[in-house]
Amino acid sequence: MKFAIAVFSPAHAPSSRRALRFAEAALAGGHEITRLFFYQDGVHSASANVVAPQDEQDVAAQWRSFVSHHQLDAVVCIAAALRRGVLDEAEANRYQRPAVNLPKPWELSGLGQLHEAAQVADRLVCFGGD
Amino acid sequence: MASSLLIISRQAPWNGPSAREALDIALAGGAFDLPLGMLFLDDGVFQLASGQQPALLQQKNLAANLQALPMFGVEELFACAHSLQQRGLDGSTLELPVQVLDDAALRALIARFDQVVTL
Amino acid sequence: MTTLHVISHSPFGDNRLTSCLRLLDNQDALLLCGDATYALKPGSEPYRVLQAAGLEQRLFALEEDLQARAIPDELAKAVDYPAFVALSLHYDKVNTWL
Repeated sequence: MKFAIAVFSPAHAPSSRRALRFAEAALAGGHEITRLFFYQDGVHSASANVVAPQDEQDVAAQWRSFVSHHQLDAVVCIAAALRRGVLDEAEANRYQRPAVNLPKPWELSGLGQLHEAAQVADRLVCFGGD
Repeated sequence: MASSLLIISRQAPWNGPSAREALDIALAGGAFDLPLGMLFLDDGVFQLASGQQPALLQQKNLAANLQALPMFGVEELFACAHSLQQRGLDGSTLELPVQVLDDAALRALIARFDQVVTL
Repeated sequence: MTTLHVISHSPFGDNRLTSCLRLLDNQDALLLCGDATYALKPGSEPYRVLQAAGLEQRLFALEEDLQARAIPDELAKAVDYPAFVALSLHYDKVNTWL
């Protein structure tokens, strides 16, 4: 079956980790993830500038390696990301901001990508909050 | 046949960008001509209250964007009767023409849509 | 169509669980995870509410969240992540109360 998974919480929230564990279990069960979509505070789960204390889980890094390893389509909502200072190189240049925190494998794009994913997938599963 | 999506908005309007970002999902889907519904539940019904002056909080008026929903093809708009009543709001004086539904009708509504997102 | 409702907020000082129970159809299921599993603490007010709701085989909780909080799985069926994935497919849609 095909899953679209949407994440609404930052890497330090338990629900971001829960989304990642769910996504891992879905792939391990032979299912497909057609797209990951990061919205609202979920854009922080994609930030490359998160520094987790050494004795704590680095969920942002785990997301990054999960997406890269499985070559997943991982979209970060551009409007939500700009509002929260999560920028790729093009946006950092466009708005003349000093830091880039969204390198590959993430793609900045619009909310239409969430709708498209929901149309293609058998299930849309969202994670957020606590 | 495109799958239908019900967006349940349950955030008060001036508590950060949450309510606006829920609305943005509906507007984006409407632009693609997708079958969408929007339900205002819990504190989300405060988005519909008339006479609000968000400019005093240096906020944009959400009501203007809400009124754009039918123009974007999002015509199925609902509010929870219980949430309105709990919060002292009268369903007949809201900013947006919504259908006010009781709990049984809300259960049927949620069952009818292919997908549901609650923000 | 049936719905798997998912809640992760603590039931204390938050009305998600109350609203969800009002809107839960008789074929729908509820999965509690994160702090929402505190609703399964025996002797608590939300425990009594859940018991009275009579959800029987339709109430689930994420096993790791129960165990981490030392909450027994007497009222809800404990599920791991593969079972969570299976549940999300068993029901026609998943409604997470973000």
